[in-house]
Amino acid sequence: MHMKNTESGSRVREELIHLLPRLRRLARALTGHVDDADDLVQLVIERALARASQWRPDGALDRWVFAIARNAWRDELRARGRSREVFVPEDDDAATVADGSAPPAQRLALAEAMAALPEDHREVVALVLVEGLSYGEAADLLGVPVGTVTSRLSRARSALQDHLGSEA
Amino acid sequence: MNPIDDDTLRAYVDGQLDSAQLARIEAAMANDPALAARVARERALLAALRGHFDPVLDEPVPERLADLLRAPATADAEPAKVVPLPARRSGRQRRARWLVPAALAASVALLAALFWHGAPPPLVRTQDGQSFASGALRRALDTQLASAPAAGVETSVGLTFRDADGVICRTFVHRDEPAMAGLACRRGDGWSLPVLVAPASEGAGPIRQAASALPPAVRAAVDARIRGDAFDAAEERAAREAGWR
Repeated sequence: MHMKNTESGSRVREELIHLLPRLRRLARALTGHVDDADDLVQLVIERALARASQWRPDGALDRWVFAIARNAWRDELRARGRSREVFVPEDDDAATVADGSAPPAQRLALAEAMAALPEDHREVVALVLVEGLSYGEAADLLGVPVGTVTSRLSRARSALQDHLGSEA
Repeated sequence: MNPIDDDTLRAYVDGQLDSAQLARIEAAMANDPALAARVARERALLAALRGHFDPVLDEPVPERLADLLRAPATADAEPAKVVPLPARRSGRQRRARWLVPAALAASVALLAALFWHGAPPPLVRTQDGQSFASGALRRALDTQLASAPAAGVETSVGLTFRDADGVICRTFVHRDEPAMAGLACRRGDGWSLPVLVAPASEGAGPIRQAASALPPAVRAAVDARIRGDAFDAAEERAAREAGWR
């Protein structure tokens, strides 16, 4: 049992290294903030290693880890919701975009459009449109019916299109 | 031919259709410029999203994250062991602003237990070496809802969740003297306090923040225990009605 834990631990550790770039991309899409994203990734790594024995090697590690990320970010938002009544983090309005190839105006518009989405819409955009999960995989991960995923996705897309439409 | 609705069209763009459906859409697009334009619009959105987020894949991974996955630390074999606080802090890793590893939480809990042992404040009573909520703290844990915070109360409850054993736990912050924050878990009719910290001892940060936000050690303790999601407003209310069982 002890042996098994260590084994699954090193297996998860190994696979997480390859998954890191995607995990960072997902975190960026969920949080919209470079520092928040990497803080989230750090927490996810710690949780994933601590719970390595819960991962079944026949299951896809990316979805298992993405679920941890999504739940951790939900918890963080909830905790912030309370503390925001009293104070606003100093870096709350820090820039949300990293260096990239797209023109700054377009990057900013997209960041704003993402930030304006409700959390459950942003989640499906991040999982399906950014990370390329299938509707069914996203539904399993979120614990909702596939129809809920597609309807959230549809509304999120319309909102993003509306937001970006004026720039296009 | 049936008109192609938005959902089908978007599923097409997302690559979620089977080959028969795919062929149908592509045939329709060939003869229908309006449909082709709708597809182009959806593809443009997808391209904008990818163009925005894909560059993250090529960024160098910050050292502090790669470090976590490098050498199999001894902590991996014995995750519950307490890591001495100074050792953790002196590492060159940048500490996350809102995250603390569970090991640190354990050590803080230990310190807190020692700290409170001598003179338990009236909000905390000690029994068989374990801390329990009493007085106003116990009342707050019994009655307060994070979703409907009471005005003028010194103790506020944050997250409510079930731990791996199915026991309901709640985080709290007590702002008045003695200022403290912690994690309370249901034990019989009362609340045991596995984690109790004095927010002032959490170190740097504006006083207002230290006094009202949940200390990292408590969050880490939540992370270590939580199973599933924290309760939403309806679940929290239902749990109160069920006596936090």
